[in-house]
Amino acid sequence: MTRFIIHRLAWGIPVLWLVATTTFILMHIVPGGPFDQEKLLPPEIRANIDAKYHLDKPLLSQYVFYLQNLVHGDLGPSYKYIGRDVTDIIKETFPVSLQLGLSAVLISVLIGVGAGIAAASRARSWVDHTGMFLATAGISIPSFVLGTLLIMIFSFKLRLFPAALWEGWRYGILPAITLALLPAAYIARLTRSSMLEVLHQDFIRTARAKGFGEGYVLFNHALKNSVTPVISFLGPLTATLVTGSFVVEFIFSIPGMGRYFITAVTNRDYPLIMGVTLVYALVIVLANIGVDMMYSWIDPRMRVKKRA
Amino acid sequence: MKWITFGAIILAVGFLSSFPFSGMDASGDKRTFRMTLSNEPPTLDWNLATDSVSFTVLINLMEGLTEYDDALRPRPAVARSWDVSPDGKIYHFHIRKDARWSDGKPVTASDFEYSWKRLLDPKTAAEYAYFLYDVEGAEDYNTGKVTRSDSVGVRALDDHTLEVRLNKAVVFFPSITTFMVTFPMRRDVVERYETSWTEPGNIVTNGPFVLESWHHEYKLTLRPNRYYAGGQPAVKAVALYIVNQPSTALTLYETGDLEMANLPPEAMASYRGNAEYTTGPLLRGYYYGFNVQKPPFTDPRIRRAFSMAIDRKEFPAILNRGELPASYWIPPGMPYHNSAIGLPFDPAGARRLLAEAGYPGGRGFPTVTAAFNTGPENSLIAENLQAQWKRNLDVKILLDNQEWKVYLKRLQTDPPPLFRLGWGADYPDPDNFMNLFTSTSGNNRTRWKNEQYDELIHSAATMRDPVARQSAYDEAQRILLERDVAIMPLFVATQNWVIKPYVGGLHINALELLYLKRIKLNRP
Repeated sequence: MTRFIIHRLAWGIPVLWLVATTTFILMHIVPGGPFDQEKLLPPEIRANIDAKYHLDKPLLSQYVFYLQNLVHGDLGPSYKYIGRDVTDIIKETFPVSLQLGLSAVLISVLIGVGAGIAAASRARSWVDHTGMFLATAGISIPSFVLGTLLIMIFSFKLRLFPAALWEGWRYGILPAITLALLPAAYIARLTRSSMLEVLHQDFIRTARAKGFGEGYVLFNHALKNSVTPVISFLGPLTATLVTGSFVVEFIFSIPGMGRYFITAVTNRDYPLIMGVTLVYALVIVLANIGVDMMYSWIDPRMRVKKRA
Repeated sequence: MKWITFGAIILAVGFLSSFPFSGMDASGDKRTFRMTLSNEPPTLDWNLATDSVSFTVLINLMEGLTEYDDALRPRPAVARSWDVSPDGKIYHFHIRKDARWSDGKPVTASDFEYSWKRLLDPKTAAEYAYFLYDVEGAEDYNTGKVTRSDSVGVRALDDHTLEVRLNKAVVFFPSITTFMVTFPMRRDVVERYETSWTEPGNIVTNGPFVLESWHHEYKLTLRPNRYYAGGQPAVKAVALYIVNQPSTALTLYETGDLEMANLPPEAMASYRGNAEYTTGPLLRGYYYGFNVQKPPFTDPRIRRAFSMAIDRKEFPAILNRGELPASYWIPPGMPYHNSAIGLPFDPAGARRLLAEAGYPGGRGFPTVTAAFNTGPENSLIAENLQAQWKRNLDVKILLDNQEWKVYLKRLQTDPPPLFRLGWGADYPDPDNFMNLFTSTSGNNRTRWKNEQYDELIHSAATMRDPVARQSAYDEAQRILLERDVAIMPLFVATQNWVIKPYVGGLHINALELLYLKRIKLNRP
């Protein structure tokens, strides 16, 4: 297993290089620079600023300079937030997004798998229809609508949870639910369809024939064999959720990293664009390694394949 | 499966319990004033700050030589008084002897000299260094023509006297000294902490408040500065939450978590007439400009026709924020404003002019594109203009919107025939608005040049006689807006706030500067 992880991590390095290079090229192709603004700067002042941030150098030199710093773990200074390094910004905001994202993953798995099992075990009953109706609704409602609805009901009308800000665990509940409901709906549908397939297999019939209770059959036989598609979905989902959501962080005023995926681009804050993209790529690489590890943990056949 | 469930529960408890507990609940202390900032302040280094959010924080942490009174006139702050030489080129600012930094050290004239020279140092790369270009030798030093700062006309004659020598006798110079980039600065603090000198614990300020904490992207907390000589603030603390969404800020206001919030347009209807609602104009104009070198707008008659075909009263109705329709450029609230200037709405006259230019009834008029940067407000305005020009001139205008930075690049390289822009005042003097359209201004995207206009603006900057100055600006506005019509002002923006009834002493001014030292909370 250790060799497998080292091997996968080593493969992550060229992936990150490719992401860094593509992002570098793309962000310089897009018209407009970090210091273009409504009030145009005198050319001499613009020259001072360009010199300070090495923007007066040829693009290739800037690229080499960036990669050299990157190898030393230096993501450079933000152009927008003066005096702050991109590393500092990520260090301050990523833990917030991570915490909120992991809470959302947890909620989505609990709700999604629960609803999927309930729907599959009572296929074509009202439970199934209601569950799948709610799942479809969950997929269709955008997070800004859902977030606003939750604020209106639970903060404004019922005064149960705070409307926004980040002062304690109560402040995390509504944003975590807002983030979780869409993936929960996907997970519910995945679990249901996968479980329905498994429930028609011979080994389930055998388990039932042995006289095991329906609950035991569902959780100990059917579920374990139905979660593979859910795990595949969990990899990219975790990466997306833990790196933050622009919409949810905006609506609930949460000091996470998600906002930078948009604002860094609109500000043309090149080092910050590179920084958040690389973090996202790294989390994707790690999440995929995690998914592969979970596969072999849940399904012994995968271990055999890997050894082969 | 049981152990998976167990693990999930442990994880859930672990994550929920690790959420932050700030110690101060959002409902706050009864003597804490809570409001929002629309963004993270990009910097609290006042030599480098350029935006209104940083300014809101800095005017409460810092004090310059002067500050604004309620009518936006500069009045003494750290400078108890100033003298001007008979030719208007030399200022002597007399520093208060009781002015103190937040660590108890006295504020001296040298702190100003250091700050101004640091602002001008090319290595600082300050965007607003040009604010001091009227100071002798400042531009040469900033642009690297001279390398020694000694040639800059700012000097501490002693601890309490600052001498400033100007290139020309600009009458609005005291207004410049209200501006954040000119605030004093402590050399020892900047050199000791380098790039992190603005962080809490490092930063030393001389205003009514000190920076107690700064949770980036989330909240800044200010406490009264016990060494501040201008009177201790009545509040115990100020909490500035960074809330990007105006609707979220309003919800927090309504749930009692804020004392003050900006009112988004969609909520205007429910608050109009409410005692908590307050509104006022801003020194911010919204206009459409012509690229006068691109046909058909090379003909001033067509430009005049387009301006006269706009009923500006429609904008407040569609934007719903109480905007002031404007055909003038110098906004109300600024000295030398004249509401009688500008072309009136006259569709018949506009059609006549278009006919004279060779397009009777709009026939044969080429299809032109009006460009604007993407945004809901800009789209509403552009669509309304498109409809008004169709209705009143029978001409077809295409609309083209682009992302902000892409749009700015286009304006710099190849301005479209018709384009949207705005301008907010840095200081309340008409020079700040009118200088924009001089032939040497980098912000003049119209490609319009007029020597008479340039001369009027340059001479008005040094006129001490208010009547002569009024007449110069009136004449310049007539050239810009009525005769040559390089731009079409549409409206002056407004600010709309809701403020809890127990908040006293808060004055909203047209520069959107909130001096929080005067606030009193009489919370029930």
